[in-house]
Amino acid sequence: MHSSDDQGRFRNIRKKKRLKKRKGKKYYSSKNHSIEHVIGFLGNPNVGKSSLFNELTGSHQHIGNWPGKTVEKKEGHFILADEYFSVIDLPGTYSLSGRSDEEIITEEFIVQERPDLVCVIADAMRLERTLYLALQAFELTDKVAIIVNMIDVAEKHNLEISRKKLASLLGVPVILVSALRDSSLIELKKFIYDAIHTDKYDFHPAKILYSSKIEAIIRKISEQIADRKVLKEYPVRWIAIKLLEGDNWTRSELSKEFDLETLLKTLEEIKEKESINPKVEIAKTKYSGLHTIVTQSVKGDLEFKETISDKIDKIVLHPIFGYPILILIYALFFFISFSISSPIIEGMSYLLNLFAEYIRSLMIQSSSPEIITSFVVDGIIAGISAFLLFLPLIIIFYTLVAIMEDSGYLARSAYLMDRFMNKFGLQGTAFLSIVMGFGCNAAGILATRIIKNPKDRIRMIVSLSFIPCAATLGVIAFITGIFFEPWKASLIMLGLYAFSIFLTLISSSILRLFMEKEEPLPLILEMPEYRKPILKNIYYLTWSRAGVFVKKAGTFIFSASIFIWILSNLPYGVSPEFTILGYLGKVFSFITYPLMGLSWEMIAPLVFGFAAKETIIVALGVIYASGDLKTVLLNLWSLPQVISFLLFQLTYAPCFATIAAVKSETNSYKWSLFSILWPLFLTTLITTIVYQILRLIV
Amino acid sequence: MTKALIDVKAGEKVDIFSINAGFKAHNFLADLGIHEGEKVRVVKNDYGPIILEVKNTRVAIGRGLAQKILVK
Repeated sequence: MHSSDDQGRFRNIRKKKRLKKRKGKKYYSSKNHSIEHVIGFLGNPNVGKSSLFNELTGSHQHIGNWPGKTVEKKEGHFILADEYFSVIDLPGTYSLSGRSDEEIITEEFIVQERPDLVCVIADAMRLERTLYLALQAFELTDKVAIIVNMIDVAEKHNLEISRKKLASLLGVPVILVSALRDSSLIELKKFIYDAIHTDKYDFHPAKILYSSKIEAIIRKISEQIADRKVLKEYPVRWIAIKLLEGDNWTRSELSKEFDLETLLKTLEEIKEKESINPKVEIAKTKYSGLHTIVTQSVKGDLEFKETISDKIDKIVLHPIFGYPILILIYALFFFISFSISSPIIEGMSYLLNLFAEYIRSLMIQSSSPEIITSFVVDGIIAGISAFLLFLPLIIIFYTLVAIMEDSGYLARSAYLMDRFMNKFGLQGTAFLSIVMGFGCNAAGILATRIIKNPKDRIRMIVSLSFIPCAATLGVIAFITGIFFEPWKASLIMLGLYAFSIFLTLISSSILRLFMEKEEPLPLILEMPEYRKPILKNIYYLTWSRAGVFVKKAGTFIFSASIFIWILSNLPYGVSPEFTILGYLGKVFSFITYPLMGLSWEMIAPLVFGFAAKETIIVALGVIYASGDLKTVLLNLWSLPQVISFLLFQLTYAPCFATIAAVKSETNSYKWSLFSILWPLFLTTLITTIVYQILRLIV
Repeated sequence: MTKALIDVKAGEKVDIFSINAGFKAHNFLADLGIHEGEKVRVVKNDYGPIILEVKNTRVAIGRGLAQKILVK
């Protein structure tokens, strides 16, 4: 044990270090604040943790990734009494007992970064369920405070929560707040300040005692590992409980130092003999402890009542009506995203074109070499434009997704799709990543994090590039618009969409055949109550996802545009046919023409598509330079060729940004390469079959 | 008398008797407060996953899993 003096010194050193580490990054600067505190926000999903975090830190937020992990790290700060409070919004989780990335991060943060305070956010209406996490946090650290949120809802239901009683039973400070009340915010800041600074509050977290059998094993393990050199920062009791729960990580860490064989053997024997599952026993004990605490500190009727959400669900989740509603909502969703964004994109495209031509004329006037002018205008500016033009749709699309998520409908759509997705060896939650993928495949890949089984997740990641993203839709709309009457064009578009969803699921099923089967994790999903979406939440949710696109895809689209300029303009001054790209197209067409009727002029633009799919049309325009593109295509392409082109471009390969997302999420070059070759193979196969049949008929 | 959770009608409140699921699913359920001895209410059980009410939270559970949970 440190003396209090020691600890104080240690803290100060730590603080200085922290400030030093963050120096130079303008965002983190706490220049005028010599003292910095670190607060962790911990809580279940759907307890309003992010709302509180947003309210508390306002616009002072920074979203990054936890080092080495794909989990988002949200950091913000507030300032009170000239002191700097850095708040870390830890990933929402139901427990700290599994070993998902989210849980590892949280545990490491608490133990290694030693925050000044860990705030556990609980829901006033669901105290038992949401305080479970607090009891787990107690086993890691003493510095825990409880924020009971949504106290307004509890008051509406005539629930009387005694703050004092709760605090004394739990042994840590408790505050009752509502994210909707302004007064709560000031109280909360003061509460955090006081908890760190004053001795107004006690920190003696309630210790949960398990059954005598379990306690005996905990004692035995604790004795054996008391002098450990590994996992030194972790409390010994916590490690013992983890081992008992069957956690692989603590086991492998400890076996570096100890021979755990005999210990684990006795553990197994006890489990067998007593037929107990320690993990479940431990959870049960915690819950029964909480039950006592909550019944003693809450007055009012906690009995089941049918809520408004239940009533809405009777219709929305109805076995028959639920599906037309689902289709209607998603149809509306796509209609709104495309109908709002297309005039914006057209306007922007017009302006960007004007700008590009203006720069071109300026450069010609100042007699700069033609090749430089082309590089600047057709390479750099075109690259930036391609990126900017994609933003409106992405932002509107993810705003709508955030509205659906915040309102509670997204969970319902996963529910409704579960049975259907099961047929392809997936859970309903996988449907959500498909929805996200329609906006941008890269963002869809990030959304697969909701899929808990690692292998299911990889299957979904590499299958997602079969989903046409918003940019691909632009290509489909343009081509079908040339060759078909409007109603036929819409039908073909719908057909292609349905086909791509089908391909995605089939791809996932095929891959499943080749993957080692693991224990299937059935759907277990909380259905949050419906609520009016909160503007701030929508804003931050949208921004965190659009931000992914901006950061990842932005740089990719830009550098790829330059790369493509080089391919399509060198050697400089020759017609497209004799550029590097032209030759590449011709080489490919030796295969693609006989199989799928795709000539070099049709293939070359698809190389552009690797960079960003929206450039395919531009590339077609460059290659068929003679006259109006629409009339030229109408004269040159036969019907089987049109269909073949539509089918092939729909799913032939992911774009660079998507490949980058696959790499960062799977952390494997093998899977990244596979995510290119697999769609290419399957698409070629299907397009060839369709084209050959069409050629016989037409 | 025990029966599978999947055979419980909506609106009925039952005691969980045993859970026969895989290791991961079993643990996840326990973390949500769904374990042996706990009282749960079936809110919805027609087509698609079953919805349970446990500790004032609605949790959807796949039908396959609901077959492996025995209740009293």
